[in-house]
Amino acid sequence: MNAHWERALRVDGPLFTKWFWALAALAGAAILLSIYRTYAGLGAVTGLNDGYSWGLFKNFNVTTLTALGSAGYAVGVLVWIFNRQKYHVLMRTAALISILSYTSGMIGIGVDVGRPWNIVWVLDPSTWNRYSILLEVLICMTGYLLLGLQTENLPAFVERFLEGRYPETWKHKADTALKFVRRIYPFAIGLAFILPSMHQSSLGSLMMLAGPRVHPLWQTPMLPVLYLLMAYILGMAAIVGILMISCLAWNRPLDMKILGRLGYITALATMVWLALRVGDIFGRGMLPLVFKFDSYSVFFLLEMVLINVPGVMLLRTKWRDDPAKMYRMLVMLTVGGLLYRYVPTTIAFIPGDQYFYFPTIPELIISGGFIALAIIGYLYTVKRYNILPVPLTYWYAAQGKSTAP
Amino acid sequence: MGLNRRAALGAMATGAAAMAGVQTAKANDAKILPQNKMVAMLYDTTLCIGCKACVSACSEANGLTPDTGESGGIYQMPKYLNDKTKNIIKLYVDEKTGLRSYVKAQCMHCIDPACVAACPMAALQKNPVNGVVTWDGTTCLGCRYCQIACPFNIPKFEWTEFNPKIVKCQFCDHRMAEGKGPACCEVCPREAVIYGTREELLKVARKRIADNPGKYFEDRIYGEEEAGGTQVLYLTHVEPQLLGHLVPLGKRSIPEEVESVQNTLYMGFLSPIIAYAALTSVLKKRWQEHEQEAKHIEEQTGLKEQL
Ligand code: SF4
Ligand code: SF4
Ligand code: SF4
Repeated sequence: MNAHWERALRVDGPLFTKWFWALAALAGAAILLSIYRTYAGLGAVTGLNDGYSWGLFKNFNVTTLTALGSAGYAVGVLVWIFNRQKYHVLMRTAALISILSYTSGMIGIGVDVGRPWNIVWVLDPSTWNRYSILLEVLICMTGYLLLGLQTENLPAFVERFLEGRYPETWKHKADTALKFVRRIYPFAIGLAFILPSMHQSSLGSLMMLAGPRVHPLWQTPMLPVLYLLMAYILGMAAIVGILMISCLAWNRPLDMKILGRLGYITALATMVWLALRVGDIFGRGMLPLVFKFDSYSVFFLLEMVLINVPGVMLLRTKWRDDPAKMYRMLVMLTVGGLLYRYVPTTIAFIPGDQYFYFPTIPELIISGGFIALAIIGYLYTVKRYNILPVPLTYWYAAQGKSTAP
Repeated sequence: MGLNRRAALGAMATGAAAMAGVQTAKANDAKILPQNKMVAMLYDTTLCIGCKACVSACSEANGLTPDTGESGGIYQMPKYLNDKTKNIIKLYVDEKTGLRSYVKAQCMHCIDPACVAACPMAALQKNPVNGVVTWDGTTCLGCRYCQIACPFNIPKFEWTEFNPKIVKCQFCDHRMAEGKGPACCEVCPREAVIYGTREELLKVARKRIADNPGKYFEDRIYGEEEAGGTQVLYLTHVEPQLLGHLVPLGKRSIPEEVESVQNTLYMGFLSPIIAYAALTSVLKKRWQEHEQEAKHIEEQTGLKEQL
């Protein structure tokens, strides 16, 4: 029988499991290495060089992974723009995924830039080059994190202080905060739509400026549109996939009706994306390059298969009714989508001469450590706050009541 | 910002025209003409003997430690341009025909520089008077977007420094301030690289082509039009793209192309603002409905809304 998610409820169980400590160890190593990197320079810990000046931190942790962090954007568009309130129950999970992924990405940028102390200048608009796409990305991301995501995530946090065991003054403060959030909410979700639309597309535009240095199978004026739509698709895949893993891990029922719908929407968006991508290849007359079978064409075809197969499969109910099947398809889609977001920045980037780049081990640790940090944040939050969706019966059981009053 | 950047309105027109597939010749002309008064270099592969005097002179004039890496510490021998090398002489040899050529590589001082367009903090600037592209570390984030954007792979980064700098040829602007020319041009024994205004040097180049029919590859001046034109010009007897540094580029500058795409999407920042205004008016209504429904549910079930 299908469960019907209606309330968000914190997960019972200990936070400090062996998984937690493993992640914490990785994150700790990343922090130590980041400190060392500040003194010794980027070259001392990474494989970056004058040809490949952007590597994992920028291209993977930010450009690629914030696509998964678009879960809040993807669900938000459904709930608020298309007015599908039945998905509202997923909003907390989606907004949490987003805030963690963006925070982790921003830390990545902080470690990646060579002169982080100069970031203070961003506060002074007279130093801005307002034509710079990177500036737009930096400002829109920060704005989204501080204005959009904070507002969307705040209720779940302060709500806790309304519970009985906190002093009256806390309750009062929490109440004021919630009232404030409710007052500004429509303006905040407006920003939570506009700002990611801007920076998720501009992450693609960034590579446009590299012109002929990005292989023509990827370099196209369509990059901003393709990047944005892929962020939407991956955001969807992320929310469905993460909810599935979470429910499995903590023994909660799946609402396959909602997840199946999301899977369907993901598939439709994937079809639109594929039409644009293939149309663009035809339109620019790049078809011969697809069948050249050099490493670029192989990556292109791989990407096509990884995105096409799940896209087509998820259109069919048979593949969406079975959680295991749907999960596998979503993982495949995610790998393909992430590949699409990563390839133009590194694999299809042609710096000339004989430059070579492969991430070093410390670089992989730092990159992985920032991801671990986000997962730790997730574990902590879902175990302390009401985030993950459950059926009403679970909610009442947690309140010590067997049924609704 | 680069002096060539058009006002938002002009750019919007360019964007619209680009959409319609029209090349806006007028905008381009207006961009290139005044640039001819700016400082320029002309390098001629048929004159260069590969003595590399210009490479040593460059490090000396710029106070750079000579990179002796490839020679095992014996003499200056950089492999590529790097954080110690702003100017390099490369050799091209065609194995089959034996055809050979030197090529000098340094910043091209583009007329519409991609590095300047890229830099978020305007740490890279194009001098509005002489057109030289320089880096100022005061606001530089070390983000290295300039390295990604430059089609000639010019800006270099100090990978092992605590407060790394971007290193690139600045046309010896410190020497020009003293009334001297770029060190490489002044030291060259063959006048293979000379400096002057872009207008003068284009004339010189055209005269050389006219006086020596068939000597230069396709009678072309590389840099006259590439990527919107560069202030460093090349006469080559070999196809430029074989030489490594002189990559094949279209006539239109890349920043201009990107800007036209961004402008079709953003319309000079008008579209995000309009979209936001339209959106919030809808969202305010949705939000009221949502609040009412939440209140309704709370009255019925006693469950407070979870926002
Ligand atoms: S100094 Fe002149 S001749 Fe010698 S390598 Fe440099 S450009 Fe060529
Ligand atoms: S050659 Fe590169 S570094 Fe020099 S001005 Fe042009 S874009 Fe900038
Ligand atoms: S590294 Fe410095 S100069 Fe280069 S784009 Fe970034 S801020 Fe500008």
